[in-house]
Amino acid sequence: MKWKKFAVVASLSVLGLLLAYAIGEMPSFGSKNTPDKLHVIPRYLQKSEEEAGAKNIITGVILNYRGYDTEGEVTVIFSALCAVVALLGREKRRLSRSGVDAAGKPTSVIVNTVVRFLVPIILFFAVYVMLHGEDSPGGGFQGGAVVGASIIIFTLAFGLPKSTEKIPLGFRIPLESIAVFAFLSMGFLGMLFGVNFLTFILPGLSHELAHTVRFLMLSFIEVGIGVAGGIIFTSIVFSMIREDEYELQPDLSQS
Amino acid sequence: MNFSRIFHNLNYVVSAVLFLMGLYTVAVKPNLIKKLMGLNIMETAVFLFIVSTGMVKGGYAPIVEKGVKASEMVNPIPQALILTGIVVAVSTTAVALALCIKIHERFGTLDASKIPGKEEI
Repeated sequence: MKWKKFAVVASLSVLGLLLAYAIGEMPSFGSKNTPDKLHVIPRYLQKSEEEAGAKNIITGVILNYRGYDTEGEVTVIFSALCAVVALLGREKRRLSRSGVDAAGKPTSVIVNTVVRFLVPIILFFAVYVMLHGEDSPGGGFQGGAVVGASIIIFTLAFGLPKSTEKIPLGFRIPLESIAVFAFLSMGFLGMLFGVNFLTFILPGLSHELAHTVRFLMLSFIEVGIGVAGGIIFTSIVFSMIREDEYELQPDLSQS
Repeated sequence: MNFSRIFHNLNYVVSAVLFLMGLYTVAVKPNLIKKLMGLNIMETAVFLFIVSTGMVKGGYAPIVEKGVKASEMVNPIPQALILTGIVVAVSTTAVALALCIKIHERFGTLDASKIPGKEEI
């Protein structure tokens, strides 16, 4: 064990020296004309609003210039949910009727009151972040993370049975796949009009109308990503919470 | 090696230190949850490093507004990439935690050195 630690520290210090050498060779922090700011970057910065249809250039990059990447990312998070559910199963529904853990964890009155007061406000903020991703800091994933956080706070304060009552499984299952669905449907919509997959400017429409349609399509994808992200995080946390052990081993719960 | 430059690139130095801390945790700590924490620290270090490369001194956020020139904005590509990276990191962490739960159910321990070998499963 001691030898292992020594070997690890030695190899890490070699790696640290190599990293320090690399940092010494890098262009200084915050300089303007480093290689990573050339090539496509000036074009993204100057033309993003007309080409990608979003004032927030990051949203434009994510949904338009690199739409394929984001679609893969949506698939990754959905696959993560699939893997977690395959390993652990969904939350145990029968327990919410058993009454064993309906008594709840001993959270204090202060925590419960503050959570009950804060959760609607957090959800409201999440909707704002999702819908304003086009022209201000924000976007689908960020809003989805805030949605998931608010639901998880509620679960921690009030317990799993109560929050599965509020957000039942039948409500979550269709929403979990809505991001993939939104991406694919909007992508194939372009193909129906005779342009490439994930092209948001549809031919055959007047200039003004095409831009409005593109804005609506992008917003649909953003909201889809946000809702699905939040619900997927919620589902993952729900299937990880193990309150059923109280029922299987009643001695442990009393001690 | 240019020592004065190392002190100018403080963000990169911090991210390298975080990376080494995370790697040390992954290599030395036997507890699987602590290994996961180390992995997440490493991911954070990489995110910090890549976002820092896009920084421009005195630059503006890459949002088109009146009075902000495109040449004064920071690089949007690292931020977009890291947004993707954070989501992937969360996904992998979720799967790893689920595996940890299964390991704890089967062996009753999260200590990697105490988990018995294959023949005993």
